[in-house]
Amino acid sequence: MTRTPGSRWRGRYLALVAGALVLVTGCASDAPQDTFKPAGPYAQKIDNLARPVFYIAGVVLVLVFAAVLFVIFKFRQRDDDANKVPHQLHGNTKLEVLWTIAPAVLLVGVLVPTLATVFDLARKPKDPIQITALGQQWWWEFQYPGTGIVTSGEMVFPAGQTVLVTVSSRDVIHSFWFPRLNGKRDAVPGRFQTVKIQADKPGEYWGQCTEFCGLSHANMRMRAVALSPADWERWQANQTAAYAAPTDTLAKAGEAQFAARCASCHQINGLLGTDGKPIIPRDVPQVSGAAPNLSHLMSRSTFAGAIFDLKLPECTATNTEVTGTPVECLNRSALAAWLRNAPGQKPMVPELKGDPPKGRGMPNLNLTEQQIQELIAYLSTRK
Amino acid sequence: MAIIERPQPSGPLELAPAAVVTSRQSLGVFHRPTTESGWRSWLFTVDHKKLGIMYGVVAMFFFVVGGVEALFIRLQLAAPNGKILSAQTYNELFTTHGTTMIFLFVMPMAAAFGNYLVPLQIGARDVAFPRINAFGFWCFLGGGIFLYLSPLLGGLPDGGWFAYAPNTGPIFSPTHGMDFWTLALLITGIASLTGSLNLIVTILNMRAPGMTMMRMPIFTWMILVVQFLLVFAIPVITVALVLLSFQRLYGATFFNVEQGADPLLWQHLFWIFGHPEVYILVLPSFGIVSEVLPVFSRKPLFGYPFVVFSGVAIGFMGWGVWAHHMFASGLGPISVAVFSATTMFIAVPTGVKIINWIATMWGGRLWFTTSMHYAIGLVAMFTIGGLSGVTHAVSPADTQQTDTYYIVAHFHYVLFGGAVFGLFAGFFYWWPKVFGRMLNERLGKVGFWFMLVGMNLTFGPMHITGLQGQPRRMYRYADGMGFNFWNLVATIGAFTLALGVLLFIINALKSIKGPKAPLDPWDARSYEWMTTSPPIAENFASIPAVHGLDEFFHRKYEEDEVTGQLTKVATAEEILADQEAHREAHIHMPSMSYWPLVVASGFPILGLGLIFNTLLAIIGAAVIVGGIFGWALEPPTAPEADQGNDPDASGGTPKELASVG
Amino acid sequence: MADITIPKAAPVAHDDHGVGHYTSTGLSNNKLAMWLFLGSECLLFGGLISTYMLYRGRFQGGPSPEQVYDIPFTSISSFVLLMSSLTMVLAVASANRNDLRNARVWLLSTAVLGATFVGGQVYEFTAFYREGLGFTTSLFSSSFYTLTGFHGVHVTAGIIMIVVLVAMLNKDKVHGHKAETIEIVGLYWHFVDIVWIVIFTLVYLIPA
Repeated sequence: MTRTPGSRWRGRYLALVAGALVLVTGCASDAPQDTFKPAGPYAQKIDNLARPVFYIAGVVLVLVFAAVLFVIFKFRQRDDDANKVPHQLHGNTKLEVLWTIAPAVLLVGVLVPTLATVFDLARKPKDPIQITALGQQWWWEFQYPGTGIVTSGEMVFPAGQTVLVTVSSRDVIHSFWFPRLNGKRDAVPGRFQTVKIQADKPGEYWGQCTEFCGLSHANMRMRAVALSPADWERWQANQTAAYAAPTDTLAKAGEAQFAARCASCHQINGLLGTDGKPIIPRDVPQVSGAAPNLSHLMSRSTFAGAIFDLKLPECTATNTEVTGTPVECLNRSALAAWLRNAPGQKPMVPELKGDPPKGRGMPNLNLTEQQIQELIAYLSTRK
Repeated sequence: MAIIERPQPSGPLELAPAAVVTSRQSLGVFHRPTTESGWRSWLFTVDHKKLGIMYGVVAMFFFVVGGVEALFIRLQLAAPNGKILSAQTYNELFTTHGTTMIFLFVMPMAAAFGNYLVPLQIGARDVAFPRINAFGFWCFLGGGIFLYLSPLLGGLPDGGWFAYAPNTGPIFSPTHGMDFWTLALLITGIASLTGSLNLIVTILNMRAPGMTMMRMPIFTWMILVVQFLLVFAIPVITVALVLLSFQRLYGATFFNVEQGADPLLWQHLFWIFGHPEVYILVLPSFGIVSEVLPVFSRKPLFGYPFVVFSGVAIGFMGWGVWAHHMFASGLGPISVAVFSATTMFIAVPTGVKIINWIATMWGGRLWFTTSMHYAIGLVAMFTIGGLSGVTHAVSPADTQQTDTYYIVAHFHYVLFGGAVFGLFAGFFYWWPKVFGRMLNERLGKVGFWFMLVGMNLTFGPMHITGLQGQPRRMYRYADGMGFNFWNLVATIGAFTLALGVLLFIINALKSIKGPKAPLDPWDARSYEWMTTSPPIAENFASIPAVHGLDEFFHRKYEEDEVTGQLTKVATAEEILADQEAHREAHIHMPSMSYWPLVVASGFPILGLGLIFNTLLAIIGAAVIVGGIFGWALEPPTAPEADQGNDPDASGGTPKELASVG
Repeated sequence: MADITIPKAAPVAHDDHGVGHYTSTGLSNNKLAMWLFLGSECLLFGGLISTYMLYRGRFQGGPSPEQVYDIPFTSISSFVLLMSSLTMVLAVASANRNDLRNARVWLLSTAVLGATFVGGQVYEFTAFYREGLGFTTSLFSSSFYTLTGFHGVHVTAGIIMIVVLVAMLNKDKVHGHKAETIEIVGLYWHFVDIVWIVIFTLVYLIPA
């Protein structure tokens, strides 16, 4: 057999160590879902717990690697005398007991703070802001119990206060996760589970569905916006404001289009039907039984599972959650493309199946360009 | 339950030689096949060695299939918003990648090693139930083929390898893919269950004289633990699969949430199977490495009883940790706390193994063969996977890690760095025993470095992207999330890794014309080397008695009582010649049989029938039932004159190893 | 190395002549395999029973367990199945006394009693179905039919095994040790009975 000279070993391992260093230090900076950048106390608690564990694991790893490397260099066969046989040591019970107990003790050291954190995170907060997050294929709905506010894809809440999010699902299992605010919680249909979140500062946080939920699982993102207390009040006031009918002709035409073509699934609070009564979508032909509420679409920056920009990225307008996206900032081309052929923009299964027939996702409505322009004009007034 | 002790011997009830039916008065429709060469000798074989090789070849084929699927996945993810695969195709590929690698590669490859080596390591002539062994192989192959019929008949399964209900129910996964998936796993489950019963009985009942449990080669021990895990884990996933397939095929309500179903039922059933499954995948490799490290360190395994008992402990504790896969699913803090604790402590026996492996090398004379490279590679890479596993046991941290690429990184370090590296160590170590040819060491080492570097480039960066918030199972990721660079690195790594695997396949093919292997190329220690390479049909000319652990080594080397110095007193050739000189007369080997193949072939037909057509299902069931009758009624042996290995059998009593098997 | 005195040439090979193959544990291969298989079956039924226990109170849209169960009827069929265990014990005892004739009689009685039980189950299922409890009606119905159906299939497989065994005994076509073969089939039969006792208690007797 061929035997490898030691120098080649050494070179390879040095390269490996260097590679590992690059891996550790090379973390990219622009990562909106980075678990290492907690932005609130609950994520911080997890981080406080996890970091020392990572360090301990790192130390153990270095020790094991050092032992392996030492053994490789120290005890490598240096001559070809096949008859030389080392001492046949069968074991050492004392050592075995030692290295059974040592990791056990170390693990108890890790376990105690782990359990403390588990129960700490599970403690119900006093007087939290309540939000219900409902997952469905492939977008999130956020309800604000007691206020009538319903949003989709984007969750708005006040900074500096604990929010108790009740998580559930209308179809398959999803998972609710804002890495910088807390760990994830599965949205299991038929179960209502809570997770506390809190952001220390106003700002934008990104999250994503993390339980595989079918075709467009990758396109089920969510955005959270923490507002200052004053903005939070203004936001609530805006969300609960009475329906403002559009004034210009194009938007008025859009309102009619919406009532005729969209309102069977999408609700806009206060929109009246031809019979003079508010249109409330019932028996939505969706497996989940729901479609995003568009009452205040322009208070959001994204749409369709938070995967498309509704507000142009180059837009300098701020506080659009409260004031609504100005018309000039509206990403018309993305919205038009969506209205032109939604399933072409995002993989969905809109074909109606079963009895009663239901689909999963928005179908292609075969709208004309004129209808699309009217609808955009109408939707751009939904601030 | 009454276990009635029979008086021994029990007189007239016994099968008197006169009552023996030879194949000439065949009871079944067919005589037992007797071909000793050509494709028939493989198709109807019951020889554990041939079946082991067949398991290995088919598993290797599925390894390539699963690997190609992985390469497509990595190509799609090389850059943000990948366009190579559609969402549906991507979802199908990661489902089949996981399913293939676990159920059609690692498990059967471990079965290949177990089948081939266990009888040789314990000094048996075959397994306890040779026909059931063949049946198991054909079920595995049938299940594999059945799974890959799905793209021709309506689409690959698309629910992920753990197939969480209700996403895998008929509404959310309307193609036949998941039907094929559930039924394919039920069929391969039959293979696993029968195989495990067979190997347990073989190990417990058929050891050579003097081979007590604590003198068994460590690989056989680990295989024993794995078979016990299979015996108890397979029925649990069977229940889960039955519930899901009844829901999909017959409209059962098990996962209908609107009727009050609890989707966590699936998760519990799946993971009660699924976590022992992890040890089912990795313990055979631990066994292999525990054989390879002592041989190439030229020292006994350090703390053999501790390595054995830590393996057994892992086997037991593996049943108490399943809910750590569900830390985010809302179990409540008490369950989470309990499963955090159990999960942490399962790290202890695992750690004991790693330290014992290092202690085995300590003070040895390390010989860096390719096999040793892989074994040391496992020690290092598995340590990474084990440590990231401990970070999952910290359940609050796990709620940040689960279902992200950090988990993907973790289990690939465990399964690739652990299970697969162990299997490759085994390939290089036992290749000369199995095929009588050497693999090229030089090419082997180049391949090793490609695989080591490749796997670290592929799976290492996933730790980072995972902690940066990249969820798994996404066919695309957006730009500007910080995922781009490391995903590109992972893709490059995947192709490096694939190159390493390709080099192994080239190596394997070249070995057909490679140099003949010496009888004892590695100065090995255990029983399976005390026969020819490849072993003769009956494994051993005579079954030597066992005096201790590392029997072969202690027949070659003698220890000086005073100095403790070892001197070589015998070569492998001499030991073999001694055995040959004491060759046993009347060695009867089990006869070949058509029926394992016939019965096994009924299952895929039945499966297709359940999905598409009741008539076809009846045909499949008829094949199974008819095959079982043929099995029960076929003559116990082939015509003796055709049994080449037993020249003077004409006067003997026809019989086989086991009446049922 | 601890030195022990074992002759170098093995005195017993595994395929040794005579009926009882040498085994390291002393337990025959077939019997050991049956015990292991039954261990595995415990988890199969454990899973099915757990599913039923989880779902037995969820009969939304269909009849409840209390509405359909006919406890006296099922008690009688349970008693029949229990009696079949007794006849199986008698069959094994006869076989051990080398009394093959009686063994066959007791085996056939076992099969008849088992078939009576299965017949009772078929009757029960049809009665339930007529009362509106279809397989797809509710979570309770799906899990009830799956659990008891699996058990019924096991009993049926046992009956087929017994009938075939008797036929093979008649024609003297059982390879190997007859009494042990009967005993192994008996092990399976007793297991299926014990499972029924558990099912009967949990499913029928303990109210949801």
